[in-house]
Amino acid sequence: MDTRDWALVIFTICAQMAVGSFIILGVVHFFVERKSGLQEADRMSDRALLAIGPVLVLGTLASFLHLGSPINGWRAISNIDSSWLSREILFNVLFMGAGAVFAVMQWRKLSTATIRNAIAVVAALIGVVLVVSMSQVYMIRTVPAWDTVATVLSFFTTTFLLGAMAMGTAYAANYTYMQRKSEPGCGPEGAQCDLLRYALRGLAVASIVLVGVTFVIMPLYMGYLSNDSAATQQSADIIVNDYGVVLGLRLALVFLGAVLLGGFIYRTASDPTRERWMINLAYTAFALVLISEVLGRFLFYASQITSGLG
Amino acid sequence: MEDKGFLSNAVKGVELNRRSFLKWNAALGGAAALATGGLTASQMALKAAAAGAETVVPTSCAHNCGGRCRILVHVQDGVIKRLTTDDRPDTLEDPQLRACQRGRSYRQRVYHTDRLKYPLKRVGKRGDGQYERISWDEAIATVAEAMQRIKDEYGPEAFINHYASGADGMQGAGTSSRLLNLFGGALNEYGSYSAACWEYMLPRVLGTFTTANSRDDWKNSKLIVMFGYNPMEMVGGTNTMYYLKQAKQAGAKVIVIDPRQSMTAVWADEWIPIHPGTDVALIAALAYVMISEGLHDQEFLDTYTSGFDDAHLPEGIPNGNSYKSYVMGDQDDQPKTPEWAEAITGVSRERIVRLARELALTKPAAIYQGWGGQRRAYGEQFVHAGITLAAMTGNIGISGGSAGTGGMTSRYLPTGSLGVPNPIKLAISTFTWTDAIVRGTEMGAADGVEGLADGQETLPYNIKFIYNNAGNALINQHGDINKTKEILADDSLVEFIVTHEQFMTPSAKFSDIILPATTWMETESMTTSWVMGDTVYYMNKVIEPLFECKPDFEICALIADQLGLGDQYRDGKETHEDWIREWTAGLKDVDPTFDFDTFKANGVHVVLYDKPAIGLSEFRADPEANALSTPSGKIEIFCQAKWAADDPVEIPAVASYIPEWEGPQSDLVAQYPLQIQGHHFHARSHSTYDNIEWLRESMPQRLFMNPVDADARGIEDGDKVRIFNDRGEVIIPVRVTKRIMPGVLDLPQGAWYDPDENGIDRAGCINVLTSHHPTPFAKGTSQHTNLVEVEKA
Amino acid sequence: MAKQLAFYYDQSVCTGCKACQVACKDDNDLSSGIIWRRVVEINGGDWIKQGATWGQNIFTYHLSLSCNHCEEGICLEVCPTGAMHKREDGVVLIDEDKCIGCRYCEWACPYEAPQYNDDKGKMSKCDFCYNYIDEGLPPACVAACPMRALDFGELSELQAKYGLVDNIYPMPDPSLTKPAIVITPHADAALAGAEGVSIGNVEEI
Repeated sequence: MDTRDWALVIFTICAQMAVGSFIILGVVHFFVERKSGLQEADRMSDRALLAIGPVLVLGTLASFLHLGSPINGWRAISNIDSSWLSREILFNVLFMGAGAVFAVMQWRKLSTATIRNAIAVVAALIGVVLVVSMSQVYMIRTVPAWDTVATVLSFFTTTFLLGAMAMGTAYAANYTYMQRKSEPGCGPEGAQCDLLRYALRGLAVASIVLVGVTFVIMPLYMGYLSNDSAATQQSADIIVNDYGVVLGLRLALVFLGAVLLGGFIYRTASDPTRERWMINLAYTAFALVLISEVLGRFLFYASQITSGLG
Repeated sequence: MEDKGFLSNAVKGVELNRRSFLKWNAALGGAAALATGGLTASQMALKAAAAGAETVVPTSCAHNCGGRCRILVHVQDGVIKRLTTDDRPDTLEDPQLRACQRGRSYRQRVYHTDRLKYPLKRVGKRGDGQYERISWDEAIATVAEAMQRIKDEYGPEAFINHYASGADGMQGAGTSSRLLNLFGGALNEYGSYSAACWEYMLPRVLGTFTTANSRDDWKNSKLIVMFGYNPMEMVGGTNTMYYLKQAKQAGAKVIVIDPRQSMTAVWADEWIPIHPGTDVALIAALAYVMISEGLHDQEFLDTYTSGFDDAHLPEGIPNGNSYKSYVMGDQDDQPKTPEWAEAITGVSRERIVRLARELALTKPAAIYQGWGGQRRAYGEQFVHAGITLAAMTGNIGISGGSAGTGGMTSRYLPTGSLGVPNPIKLAISTFTWTDAIVRGTEMGAADGVEGLADGQETLPYNIKFIYNNAGNALINQHGDINKTKEILADDSLVEFIVTHEQFMTPSAKFSDIILPATTWMETESMTTSWVMGDTVYYMNKVIEPLFECKPDFEICALIADQLGLGDQYRDGKETHEDWIREWTAGLKDVDPTFDFDTFKANGVHVVLYDKPAIGLSEFRADPEANALSTPSGKIEIFCQAKWAADDPVEIPAVASYIPEWEGPQSDLVAQYPLQIQGHHFHARSHSTYDNIEWLRESMPQRLFMNPVDADARGIEDGDKVRIFNDRGEVIIPVRVTKRIMPGVLDLPQGAWYDPDENGIDRAGCINVLTSHHPTPFAKGTSQHTNLVEVEKA
Repeated sequence: MAKQLAFYYDQSVCTGCKACQVACKDDNDLSSGIIWRRVVEINGGDWIKQGATWGQNIFTYHLSLSCNHCEEGICLEVCPTGAMHKREDGVVLIDEDKCIGCRYCEWACPYEAPQYNDDKGKMSKCDFCYNYIDEGLPPACVAACPMRALDFGELSELQAKYGLVDNIYPMPDPSLTKPAIVITPHADAALAGAEGVSIGNVEEI
């Protein structure tokens, strides 16, 4: 793998995390609003929303580092006709734009909540299309290891797993900040604390389910690689023989972070006295899963083998 | 949308030109400014942008590969832009003389960053490679003084113009040979690294070197059997493979017998792997089958040969000494059966029987021997056996056949050279020069010394002065580098070594004075195709000499001036062109269409013959009137010269298989179980071109090893491995490939020896592992006969 | 039918000498690591112990490949800038002004034709020596081949003359990109997707 491909690891992880975070944020907001009303929901979400923009910008900047001639990077949008790479960049820009419009309106409380929600839904849909086109970039017929439904599934798993983990972390950080500012509702029995525990329980469950999906896809995918063609066998060989340690680490970390710690988060989130535990666990789980996903994405690029002369 | 007009081409041209110039300029450390009239890079770039037209200069690639290929050099403002090859019409009668990848890479060689730029004087211990820059005046004076001193103290016999094959014509060793011979002479060398056993045996078995059918006759063969012949990689003549292609298309079957599936074997119809050094055993078994089944050409043998059977032995030779007696085991009770040969050669008995029948029944067949088989222990037997086999099948002196030789002369062209007679008659075999340094005064006839006067037992002096002109055999290409280094490092033995070079080669590092020589693109010269007698090249000067480099002829002329021999050396000629005009004066007699001015303008003249040359055809037509100049006047299957050597064990009179001193049957195999040889690599001509990036990229230096041997040692493709024996050690990556027999390794010869701080070579130079052991009769090299062990490094 | 230039390659006479590769590098001034035309060595067969000797059915063949100027080049599809484009005669070229060096074409091409030029930060590849063919001269590789194994011409004409082989291992399934190449196969040549053969000179290509 070329060192410059690290730029793509960062870009795809960041962009997917941003899309996932935005959607998770919306979903949590929807449930929290029904539970405790718009005001409490906004208190919980507005600062968390802050985290998404910089991640997306960072990813986009990273994508430029992948280019041999970044100065001309703007040209990458020139072939919408046939290039999924052009389309990916287009939707990346659109998502960034729609997300930014929503964020500004949300923070400034411009227009009505309904309109804001409608814009959020549009932005979320663009985000989904962005992840789809990202998958399509790699699903090229000459790279059989990538040209499978596993690419879409794993991209979306990454999207929602990192989204859930990142938002859990963002809520926890927001809550800690509010505590330090002695804002109301941040004690053990407070509304915000209650909401945080409620959200983390939901996110923990979602993460465990998503890791389950990962663990179902993985053996099926490796089976496909080992049997499909010489090119996929080479890809399998790279993953298992050259980077077996990385693969093991990636699976161990995601299991540890999302399943094991997810379970603990669920239990501590059900016990109002263990608030610090819950928050620290959320941070740790996010760190482990992020490392795991980066390793997984590294493997994805490292196993790139083109048919033919490969 | 694509503007393909003149303008965009011009832009592309300018861009390329500027870029390449800047690149070269950077690579040459700004020294290109020197070579281009002192302009700076930016001035040059501006000049290039406003460049004048591109000129095309015709010349020829001329190194020791046997090829002589047309190179057209595209030059703009004194800078080489690119090369193309022959652009004359391409016909079957007169095919274009297209260059191989080596010649095509020459731009990188001319403009290489490592070009030697000015004369150098040794300042450290000899061999340490410590040098300082000196002026040409000082360099010339130093060499001339040393020559005078050593001649006065010893005599001309203490001088040697070292074996060197880097250049020819107006360049290379011929220029210093002329200098030394005018100065009083030097110790002669006979034989070469390439073909010592051929050169020694041919006059004694066939009486002539002119034994070959020209290559355009291959298309008349039905079967071509090559013993280790590998023209694809070695080249051995422009278009050699192209003529083989014609033969194949005309229906010839091509079989290659070789321990490795050479690129020629890949291309051939069939490859028969054989244990190195056992071809003579295979041929004996082929003979056994032919004799047993009555398939040999008895009539030919009776008419044209001497000593095939006891009935045709020379007078006074006891029965039982003929080739047939040897094959049938009359004396040693060992008939040379296919079963016997199978165990030795690794070729199955079935294949031996089939090959014998194929060879005997397919008429005409050409048996072609490469030279690698005679660069081994007992190489004389290999040479002798091939001729014997060709005689047994009656293929000698006919169209579509061959004399069992290979790469030998089919025609000569009457062209001149710089040569002048050597007043000294004493000669040693080329390969024994290291011996002649250490114990020359003990070397006599038994050591292969020739030209001893009556009553003279040995050489009068050890070698004291070496002139190494365009050669890398001082270290790199000679056997047993560690031993050679020891001998040369002692400057009480050889007192002075001068080298002409373009690069700091391993050999150059053992010189006292290094003189920077031009490449053939920076001077005028002439060259001719080898052994074919069909092509002459005018090598036009392409660019001005770079840095302070001078052409070899000029260097020697300056030394001659210093020694008061300048006028004799220059022979009244002002320019290289004057020499070439004189050398080609006789060509009009051979080919009335030859015209000097056209020749110079085209850079090439091809002599077209109306039919192929058939080696020994006059002898075949009338063996009495055209008797060979051998003792018997015939083909000596029983070689009287070998018999006279009186060493039946190592120099048997008929082509006999003798197990090699370092081979599977020797005791050493317990310690060093693998045979290693170094074939001629397609990315180099011997050691020339080893430093060219394009070629290192296209064919990197690797040890070639069979998976069976690799698995047994836990070695995988690409691993670094240690190759070692008592003589030295090499560490290099391995290419695990099925294209070589189990038990055999190949380390392509010619990589530039590069020892690390522990004296382990890191370049893959096979001569760290080879020996100084000469063959018994010709005293030729045996550098392919080696045993080693390999481990993962 | 649209015009489509193509290379013809007589694999049955190719010796694997790489004169084409080096002539190309010299003509286009390519530094190390950038190979527009490469020569692949393919090996198959095995050594089998048979009593005192080794039997074998080893075979080797070479495959000289540059850009195949595919009729349905995937590089053209995936290039996000339109730098990769096809001339009217079918030759696929890179417009350096447009190329951003994203290397997507490098991933996509099953022939390793697009080669990244680190000095420029842009892709480069065989351009069919369009500057020569426009003047009626052959491409550098074709003029270089000592075995006269390379030629070029209109794809349909070459196909009529030499057949339709464009799928010699390790070439991929030709339906992926429709390569504009016609090959006269080596006697031992395996077809795309074959088992039991492998590339023997990976580091050289």
